[in-house]
Amino acid sequence: MNDYFSLLIECLPSLLAGLKITMIMAGASLILAFIVGLILAIFALSKIKILEIFYTAYVYIVRGIPVMIFGLFLFFGVGALLNIKFDPLLASIITLTINASAYLAEIFRGGIKAVDIGQIEAARSLGLGYFRTMALVVIPQAVKIMIPPIINQFITTLKDTSILSVISVRELTMNSQIIIARNYRPFEVYSYAAVMYLIVIVLLSILAKYVERSLQHGKNN
Amino acid sequence: MEKIIEVKNLFKSYGDLSVLKDISFSVEKGEVLCIIGPSGSGKSTLLRCLNRLEEIQSGDIEIFGTNLTKVKNINKFREKIGMVFQLFNLFPNYNVEKNIILAPVQLGILNKHQAAEKVGELLQKVGLEEKRNVYPDTLSGGQKQRIAIARALAMNPSIMLFDEPTSALDPEMVGEVLKVMRSLAESGMTMVVVTHEMNFAREVANRVIFMADGYIVEENKPDKIFTNPDNERTQAFLSSVLKPLDS
Ligand SMILES: Nc1ncnc2c1ncn2[C@@H]1O[C@H](COP(=O)(O)OP(=O)(O)O)[C@@H](O)[C@H]1O
Ligand SMILES: [Mg+2]
Repeated sequence: MNDYFSLLIECLPSLLAGLKITMIMAGASLILAFIVGLILAIFALSKIKILEIFYTAYVYIVRGIPVMIFGLFLFFGVGALLNIKFDPLLASIITLTINASAYLAEIFRGGIKAVDIGQIEAARSLGLGYFRTMALVVIPQAVKIMIPPIINQFITTLKDTSILSVISVRELTMNSQIIIARNYRPFEVYSYAAVMYLIVIVLLSILAKYVERSLQHGKNN
Repeated sequence: MEKIIEVKNLFKSYGDLSVLKDISFSVEKGEVLCIIGPSGSGKSTLLRCLNRLEEIQSGDIEIFGTNLTKVKNINKFREKIGMVFQLFNLFPNYNVEKNIILAPVQLGILNKHQAAEKVGELLQKVGLEEKRNVYPDTLSGGQKQRIAIARALAMNPSIMLFDEPTSALDPEMVGEVLKVMRSLAESGMTMVVVTHEMNFAREVANRVIFMADGYIVEENKPDKIFTNPDNERTQAFLSSVLKPLDS
């Protein structure tokens, strides 16, 4: 037992450095994916055919390709084709952004669609225009619907970062592997890494519950 | 009297399904028009055409002497036409006060101070002063509908449209909503009311329209239509809906 913790202390700097990269990857990807996802959702709701088709294709393609394949393809495949050496962190952020943006876009679109059409009619019949109706009536209600699946997506993306160890980003999983290659202690080191992921995700979930509760009001009419 | 709504030869369809066929009628200022008829006959659609929630295929709708299809700023136009829905459609994310003042404040019709006063006045009118700060999910159906009426009235409309305002209510709550509508009618509001409340139509309406299959089958004074309708279909409909009450 003593040994377990002394090994932890020994590995901790390297693991924390990995965790930091993991958080940067997840954070940057999610912020970018949020923006891209919003734009995609606007496409989906635009009633402009070409934008709708683009949206549908994007979502289908992204959902149909595993993150690992996408990352390998971008980092090695596209890298070779263009004869450039991608920065692994950049390639992984691009990969995760594209991946998460498709799911987030679906969440945004679904959330808006889930708001009762009667709400829009009531607002419009009062003389509120399209944008005011969206901003004051639809989006506040849609956000409430969206929060749980958004948090789920955050957690998924955070976990997906570990897949990108395959393109040698020095995140938590990769760093664990590097440590294990040196000390041959996979049981201990992987358990450290697992607990670190777990702690971050539990904290995120608690934060999510808190946000959800603070937005409490009005479920149905 | 001044005609405030005039509909001429209105046709409306959803794709191949034609829902309103050659509808013509008018409503004068201060009048209460009730629309009755079986479900699916096009009553809601007709009402929704009057504030352009639905676009029409042909015919004319003139409101305040303006052709509705030619109105550029439909939002401005809708300010003058209040609408009350079967399922209330209160905004669940705002409390009662905010539900009522959201549109008039946003649209610059009332400033904050006037709005606060107006809320008090309207809540008194619908008998719900104590509900000012609660959220809609804590209200009963009848209370929700009264707040929905107050919300529509906050815009100071010249016309009020009601689409089966009591159909979703438990029977014991119908009365409180009809009472508010009655007093609104007495105050001289121009009203078009789609309803299954035959007693309300009989006592409050100036005229009653019976619709079936997208047509206006009969239009008459309530006394006439409820005691001695001209059309067989009206007779059949009324005897089917009135029988349970009489027996
Ligand atoms: N948005 C819509 N799309 C297609 N059909 C509709 C739509 N709204 C109503 N309808 C149809 O139009 C007809 C009239 O409906 P409605 O005006 O709601 O009747 P009512 O209010 O008299 O019950 C019905 O056959 C209904 O199915
Ligand atoms: Mg209807």
